[in-house]
Amino acid sequence: MAYESQLKEGSQRWSPLQGVILTVLACAATTVLATPLLGYLDLANIVMLFLLTVLLVAVKLGRNQAVLASVLSVLLFDVFFVPPRFSLEVANIQYLVTFAVMLATGLLTAHLAAGLREKAQDAERRERRTEALYQVARQLAGALAVEQIDELARAFVTTQLNAHAALLLPDELRRDLLQTAGTPGVSIEIHLARMAYQTGETVRSEAVRSQGDASLYLPLNASMRTRGVLALRFDDPYFDINSETLSLLEAMASLIAVALERLHYETVAKSSEVKMLTERLRSSILSALSHDLRTPLTAMVGLADSLSLIKPPLPTVALDTAQALHEQAGRLAGLVGNLLDMARLNAGTVTLRKEWQPLEEVIGASIKLLGAALARHPVKVGLPPDLPLLEFDAVLIERVFCNLLENSAKFAPADTPIAISATRQGDWVAITVCDSGIGFPPGCTDALFDMFARAPQRSGTPGTGLGLAICKAIVEAHHGNIHAENRADIAGGCVTFRLPVGYPPIIEEEKP
Amino acid sequence: MSQSAKVLIVEDESQIRRFIRAALEDEGCQVAESETLRRGLIEAGSRKPDLLILDLGLPDGDGIDLIRDLRGWSDMPVLILSARAQENDKIDALDAGADDYLTKPFSVGELRARVRALLRRRSRSGDDASPVVEFGDIHVDLSRRIVMRAGEPVHLTPLEYRLLSLLLAHPGKVLTQRTLLREVWGPSYVESSHYLRVFVGHLRQKLEHDPTQPQHLLTETGVGYRFQP
Repeated sequence: MAYESQLKEGSQRWSPLQGVILTVLACAATTVLATPLLGYLDLANIVMLFLLTVLLVAVKLGRNQAVLASVLSVLLFDVFFVPPRFSLEVANIQYLVTFAVMLATGLLTAHLAAGLREKAQDAERRERRTEALYQVARQLAGALAVEQIDELARAFVTTQLNAHAALLLPDELRRDLLQTAGTPGVSIEIHLARMAYQTGETVRSEAVRSQGDASLYLPLNASMRTRGVLALRFDDPYFDINSETLSLLEAMASLIAVALERLHYETVAKSSEVKMLTERLRSSILSALSHDLRTPLTAMVGLADSLSLIKPPLPTVALDTAQALHEQAGRLAGLVGNLLDMARLNAGTVTLRKEWQPLEEVIGASIKLLGAALARHPVKVGLPPDLPLLEFDAVLIERVFCNLLENSAKFAPADTPIAISATRQGDWVAITVCDSGIGFPPGCTDALFDMFARAPQRSGTPGTGLGLAICKAIVEAHHGNIHAENRADIAGGCVTFRLPVGYPPIIEEEKP
Repeated sequence: MSQSAKVLIVEDESQIRRFIRAALEDEGCQVAESETLRRGLIEAGSRKPDLLILDLGLPDGDGIDLIRDLRGWSDMPVLILSARAQENDKIDALDAGADDYLTKPFSVGELRARVRALLRRRSRSGDDASPVVEFGDIHVDLSRRIVMRAGEPVHLTPLEYRLLSLLLAHPGKVLTQRTLLREVWGPSYVESSHYLRVFVGHLRQKLEHDPTQPQHLLTETGVGYRFQP
């Protein structure tokens, strides 16, 4: 502590040797000044002069010097004032009491005055540090770059503690710590730094300190996580790192951490803004494309239909052609829809509008939407009555059911049923769509869900192989999974997708 | 079908206007056309049509603003034409006062069915609003709060009854989830769509022949519900 204060208060303080010399001089001066007064003053009052000297020494020079002054005063008083003068001998034995009291008073004064002085110095030092901390906090709050934070931290440590600091920040993947550029004179023991980073505790090593390496590693703990490590190397290997220094450094570390966290979130906010703008652009391109593709298709479907309205009626051949035009345009519309959906899902521009809902509703809506396409395939829906509500985007899951039902209708012979069933499997609900068609080619059921994949024996039937890929993308966006298999009992294929159950909301019972 | 009902089409694509006109004239309607929203609003004011068919994707502005303007002075039925994947636009348009929507591409048959339903409602509203609604084998007497299924009384809870009567009051009209939740459960429930879905499920269990494939209480996925008489 004494040494530490000397470092910073060198201008007001003297070295121990100077202190001793000054003390000796002060006592000698007192002796010289008091000698002419010997005839006029009582010895008791001369004792007072010496005690005053001790007090002054204690206040100005500190405890050790005051002790020295007490002893010197007693000796000088004895030699120069107490008869017989100029000898240590004492004529009157009662002077021994005087000496004892004088020494005791001197020592006590020395102790009290020096204590007071240390407290005052201590308070002053704390105030300076608080002021410095306050200043650096203000500067850190305005820091716009990591380099600035680094510079402020190093400057603070150098001026306040006469030490050298280095800032260690994690790399982008938070796998390792990297030293910031421009930290000369600090060699880092990286394993100690990692320990501090991983545990979030301050690490000290006396062993590396004697080698002149950085010996103190403070984690930069911010509210979310540890943002890095502040490493310190002290110039003086015997510098005492006391609890006050530590708490100062820890305060500094948390200020740096907060500043780093603020910078981090600023970066995040900026990049998410860029991302948002990109996504907005992408989705506006997609919806413009969607509009531009659908408009002519709408006209084609409608115009083909309106041929049947012509009076007098067109010949049957022409009406059949019109109907075929309608169907082809409708298929093209379906294809465009699938392609655009896939583009949206791949671009990541789909924001799920997840809501808790019963499964049966979206199944019913899908069956109704397909309408005529399912005319030759009765759909049997078998859902257990205790099926929980599921959280999903109804529009997207409707698309999954539509694609699966459409596939089944396309590949299963006419008038064979399609079955939809669901079962609870622990934390999942598995939903299966089964048909009685030709099933899937064995061994490549996983590949069916790749884009543009088509089963070889199905190439006679029109299709792009997008349907199942979209189903997969949608189900996976819901954190579910999907797979296909052939029925064990009879011919036919099944596609099963599973959605997580999650935590369905409670529906309050209605009071009757 | 009311004779010579006046229909205004606001749509920028001439070929789409052309077949809609052909389909509606075949139904016996008088058809007026407009290419832009601004023109459309003026035409709606001067011609006072019985039905407005409005494309949501017009280049000169937001169709929803037109609906709001229109609702300031008229309750004429509004049928929206919109591309798929625009559920939010549909919901906004319906909440602004539109009555129904068609998703592009649509067939002439669908168009005519929707137009007929909307015009029928216009001709029926006003004078002889009957308290009795019948659909399938269901008989609802709104004045006596009685619901019968094939002659047998059906017990509905108060909320179920409120939901049913709200749907029955707007036959053929799509009611958005927000509207239904606000009217039946109250404004603080507008985000709790699961209540609505569960109660519609209850109604279907009690009133539909096959609750998984309803014929009358229809889901408009992502938008809301519709009662189809």
